[in-house]
Amino acid sequence: MDISFSVNGEITYLQVEPRRTLADALREDCGLTGTHLGCEHGVCGACTVLVDGEPARACLMFAVQADGTSVTTIEGLEGTDGQLHPLQEAFVAHHGLQCGFCTPGMLMSALHLLDTDPDADRETIRDEMSGNICRCTGYQGIVDAIEAASSAMKQH
Amino acid sequence: MSVDRADGTAAAPQATAAAPAGATEDKSGSLGRNVRRKEDRRLITGHGRYVTDIELPRMRHVAFLRSPYGHARITGVDVTAARDAGYRVFTGQDFSHVVLRAQSALPSYVETDQPVLAHEKVCFSGEPVAAVVAKDRYRAEDGLEFVDIDYEALPATVCAWQEPEVPVHPEAPDNVLLQRTFDAGSVTDAFTAADLIVERELVTNRHAGNPMECRAGVALWDAADGKLTFYNGTQVPHIVRNMIAELMGVPEGKVRVVAPDVGGGFGVKAVLYPEDVALCLMAREMPGIPLKWVEDRAEHLLAAAHARDHRYLIKAGFASDGTLLALEADVTCNVGAYSVYPWTAGIEPLMAGGLLSGPYKLDNYRCTVRGVATNTAPAGPYRGVARPASVFAMEAMFDDAAARLGIDAIEIRRRNVITPEDIPYKMPSRLVDDSGHYGECLDKALDALDYPAFRTEQARRREAGDNPIGIGVALYNELTGLGRAASAGPRMPFRTGHDACTVRINPDGRVTVISGITSQGQGSETMIAQIVSDAIGVGYDDVDVRIGDTDEALWGFGAFSSRQAVIGGGAAHNTAVAVKEKLVKLAAELIEAAEADLRVVDGEVYVVGEPKAQISVAELARVAYLESNRLPDGIDPGLDATTFFDPIRGAFAAGAQAAAVEVDRTTGELRILKYVCVEDAGRAMHPQIVDGQIAGAIAQGLGGALYEHLVYDDAGNLSTGTLLDYLMPTSAEVPDMVIGHVSHPAANPIGVRGVGEGGTLGPNAVLAGALRDALGIDVNTLPISPASVWKELHP
Repeated sequence: MDISFSVNGEITYLQVEPRRTLADALREDCGLTGTHLGCEHGVCGACTVLVDGEPARACLMFAVQADGTSVTTIEGLEGTDGQLHPLQEAFVAHHGLQCGFCTPGMLMSALHLLDTDPDADRETIRDEMSGNICRCTGYQGIVDAIEAASSAMKQH
Repeated sequence: MSVDRADGTAAAPQATAAAPAGATEDKSGSLGRNVRRKEDRRLITGHGRYVTDIELPRMRHVAFLRSPYGHARITGVDVTAARDAGYRVFTGQDFSHVVLRAQSALPSYVETDQPVLAHEKVCFSGEPVAAVVAKDRYRAEDGLEFVDIDYEALPATVCAWQEPEVPVHPEAPDNVLLQRTFDAGSVTDAFTAADLIVERELVTNRHAGNPMECRAGVALWDAADGKLTFYNGTQVPHIVRNMIAELMGVPEGKVRVVAPDVGGGFGVKAVLYPEDVALCLMAREMPGIPLKWVEDRAEHLLAAAHARDHRYLIKAGFASDGTLLALEADVTCNVGAYSVYPWTAGIEPLMAGGLLSGPYKLDNYRCTVRGVATNTAPAGPYRGVARPASVFAMEAMFDDAAARLGIDAIEIRRRNVITPEDIPYKMPSRLVDDSGHYGECLDKALDALDYPAFRTEQARRREAGDNPIGIGVALYNELTGLGRAASAGPRMPFRTGHDACTVRINPDGRVTVISGITSQGQGSETMIAQIVSDAIGVGYDDVDVRIGDTDEALWGFGAFSSRQAVIGGGAAHNTAVAVKEKLVKLAAELIEAAEADLRVVDGEVYVVGEPKAQISVAELARVAYLESNRLPDGIDPGLDATTFFDPIRGAFAAGAQAAAVEVDRTTGELRILKYVCVEDAGRAMHPQIVDGQIAGAIAQGLGGALYEHLVYDDAGNLSTGTLLDYLMPTSAEVPDMVIGHVSHPAANPIGVRGVGEGGTLGPNAVLAGALRDALGIDVNTLPISPASVWKELHP
């Protein structure tokens, strides 16, 4: 099937089988390997991307369902000048990542959280981020980072 | 620093006053500071390089057909339909000449074979029986449908303390693959003299490391050169190279193993799996075509290494003052269907027997440990190997005895713990403890917990009839960085005591380090760069580190046993010092100064007492490589060195954890009010990374204590086969933790103690102790679920 959607602001045309997941289309057809697959059954959250601004599990969504949408992946978070997003900066500063495998999905979920609830407190952050599993950090660095990014984003 | 530190010195560098000779004490150095991790830029922007991300020309994809039976004879294999449909198919017969046989010289050990693809019979549900190659992963999985395998079901055994109807391996009719008894002093006499004997049967829950990236590999056979390249998400690339070369009959120099970014390991990826070997063998059959296998989570839960399925029949004798007099235990570990390659079925039982007495003084010890095969996935290394279970068992003895003797649970531990005055302390298993700082860890942990306040609150709640709270504690010793003497235990045909490192100052004066260590998130590149930049006297940003490629690094055993900071770090330090000696010698000749008077700081060479730099590292490097006309007599070109390091013994890392927990009487649910850990990492090279290791390990320990359980039915079917059934803790379950430190440098070049695993050791014991403290109930079976607590509350 022929589909077209915007990926990180760029219009992309693809020919995909109906069964092809959005995750595979992004990773293999668009070459955007930053979106990771941790469980392929919609639990771990590693493949989280934003579709029309809403978080979606790219492993549970078919590429054809993204036809006509606007998709944001981890590769779209960094500024075009190479400037890190405050969330990325905070994850580095607060050691919110170790192996980095859950990190892209974690960042996309956090982006949506701070977008919809810029004042999220620690408990809210812990609740809202519970759809993304991290096996390395024990979450402390992640929660710290999101809290710090929230303040930084409000100041700017 | 992101983690609350019990000592209140957020992000403060560790004191280096007691650092051993040779350690860098320059204040401008990077060790002890939270420098920006080298890895983060690529990982945070989606530009990590994981095996799954590799795309090569002509690449084909592989899917494995897995046994639906826990135990069955294979009576027929028909691949006609698959081949007719255009698929390339491999079955067990294709590779029946290759077997994985984990070896150990221990007298009782029964060696057994693990096939690459099962052919005669299948021994666990999920065992690979065939592989299909196709142009993409979708089609490869389609192709599995065309492969027809006939099975004749056999009775399965899933419990290690049940007689098998049909043994897993005919060589071991009772399923026992290994049994060993540790014996010291006279347990019988000591029990006779004891005022109190406590006895328990404890069963721990099978669970697994479950790194977020599942297993993956890409194999490519170059027929012209007879060379194999294997990209593998492994913790142990050199061991993989060595074993693949041997299994395939290929010279080791013609096997290249590359572990790029690896998405977590935790021991699961320190194993060479039959799927890995199959992929490489298949690649040799399909020269020039890169074969890619990416596991999904359901496969991972079925067939990657499991762990921690143990039973402890344990008995301890105490004097009336709480002194531990004797300990006797019978430990059975379910090792699954195969002796895990190359670590053997001994990995968990031998660790359990060797470290059961933990940080406590004990003269009379008898412990029989055994590894028993069953029709379940093979058990392998998982962070903390066996000790989350053995610490739980040991601490249960103290909690039990304290209650019966009317001694405070903290006090009874203080009376028995190894102290600095006892060091070196020879444990009854003959391991030598070089730490002894358990009491100090405990004091700090209780301070950080605010122990008296929780005791007051506990009393208030008892009075008021509110939901009860309990306090649990655990002390443990984590044996890290095992050198050749300490790693001798399992008597495998290799000793994992050493690593190599190469340090090169490049012609432009920047430094490239090629280390034998690997990273699955530990920040290894960062750590090595810190060590080398400080040891030479160049900036942290001027050091690049390359790891994970066996064509580059001379040797490294890889990541396990909390060994890399001690051993790989020691190798990096010593090598950097060797290069610096060359650098200083060259500088001394060129500027006509005495070597002893030279200092290298931030890439510049100074003469003591003179404020201005005399020559730069970059200029010296230029001379060393490009201007041999300026090279003094007797100095060879180049500025590099490669050395090995082996600490011979290990470094024990002391640890204490404590928590206050609330129990909801209505639901049986536990709520952690505060969780504290104090560990001795020796000298903390990067405090954030150290705390991150501890926090992550505790989170895994909490998962094992409360949620994670791999459950088989009697026929050998895994009934927790997805992450909807197998519950990993999320940010909503894991509490904020307080992490504190004591810093007693160990006797190795940089004074470090390993810190990767210790955190997993405490949570089982801490939470079980807290429940006992809150409700007076014994926890004998893990995990602690709301249902299990509720049942205890409503007997």
